[in-house]
Amino acid sequence: MLVNEFRYGLLLFREDGSALGSASVTVDWEPAAEWTRFHHARRGAVPLCGEGTASIEPLWDTTEGEPYVSGFRVAYESGGQNVTADFPSSYFREQAAQTSAEFVKRGKLAAGDTYLFQAVAFAQNGNGHAKPAGGLALEVVEEKPDLEYVESSLDDFRRRSSPAGLVDADDMPVFIPQRVLDETAALTRGAEGRETGGILIGRLHHDAALPEVFAEVSAQIPAEHTQGTVARLTFTPETWSAASAAIRLRSQGEVYLGYWHSHPVREWCRAKECTPEKQKTCQLARDFFSEDDRAVMRAAFPRAHSLGLVVNDTAFLDLSFSLFGWREGKIHPRGFHLLEESHA
Amino acid sequence: MAQTETLEGISLTVSDVSGQKVFRVPKAPAEATVGELVQSLLSQMHLPANDPNGQPLAYQARLEREGRHLNAAERVGDALETGDKLMLQPNIDAG
Repeated sequence: MLVNEFRYGLLLFREDGSALGSASVTVDWEPAAEWTRFHHARRGAVPLCGEGTASIEPLWDTTEGEPYVSGFRVAYESGGQNVTADFPSSYFREQAAQTSAEFVKRGKLAAGDTYLFQAVAFAQNGNGHAKPAGGLALEVVEEKPDLEYVESSLDDFRRRSSPAGLVDADDMPVFIPQRVLDETAALTRGAEGRETGGILIGRLHHDAALPEVFAEVSAQIPAEHTQGTVARLTFTPETWSAASAAIRLRSQGEVYLGYWHSHPVREWCRAKECTPEKQKTCQLARDFFSEDDRAVMRAAFPRAHSLGLVVNDTAFLDLSFSLFGWREGKIHPRGFHLLEESHA
Repeated sequence: MAQTETLEGISLTVSDVSGQKVFRVPKAPAEATVGELVQSLLSQMHLPANDPNGQPLAYQARLEREGRHLNAAERVGDALETGDKLMLQPNIDAG
């Protein structure tokens, strides 16, 4: 359960400090609450699968005081254990961008201009997530998900793997076999310039001795019933049903760990007639996860252990892989461990 | 399914696509439509209702017992039985 007893707003300023205006904002607290739960569950401070209550509290700016906030705190309680995590006001950056776009529309700000923002919070009557206007008065109770953790040694996995990309020690360790990457590469080549993708499945492991949680991707399931174009891949309800059926059929205790899809960058560059030199420095060529890509993660894979893998198909390099995951309530590029598999 | 419909509503279990966010609905109102139920569940389950452009995201409710997607216009009391499990599945674009 998520409890928020404040409403939030943003004050926007031009680069010279002059005021642009203010706007109330709707903030998606769920990723911050989920990250707080998972961050502390990894370390054994709260139950791994427990359902708890997350409360959002403003952190008042130490200089300006209330109603100015420097960030917010998530206080999470589960199984009688209490933990917290603090988030800076940069968490509101997306809302600030949306607000600034409104000021651009109104002609108060030029597109591309730098702006500054200050978050503010005010107490509101009742819980912010109460019955939506026009919606049903529906009582729901969060239940413990059917999510098993396999007791394993992280060191054993590390001995059988090598790091790929920049591995941050604070991120949940992730192990992916080369076989899975090879399959995504083959499907990407076979799609011939259209986006393709699939579902990443595997197991969540728990090393009680540390304690730590880590993920092992065991397979990818090619996404069926999708609609792929050069710049888009639509996952339909039938896609998810087929993936769930495949997991049940495999019957190997696997769970959803995320999704993968291809970026046919070479086709994007061809359409824009980018020079080879420009292509090599293009931000879309590597570690690019679009707003739409993030929206898929948020809608389908909101748990903090979830992963998004992108296969980059560029004209100047062989296929490359970029992995993304949740960190402090936002999605960031992240490293992983390439897992050697025994073929005995 | 009138035999399972009570004045108190119908008890359901609802999950997201991954099955890793699970919620119990003790009293889903029988007279509501599936579309109304889904819209209310999105808010309560903290699932996004809109895409990055602010357009509504289309979700379908899959009824596990029958292995089919429910029509938004179906009446909860007609389509669902106490103990049913639903999965909310978005139609969503990766870019």
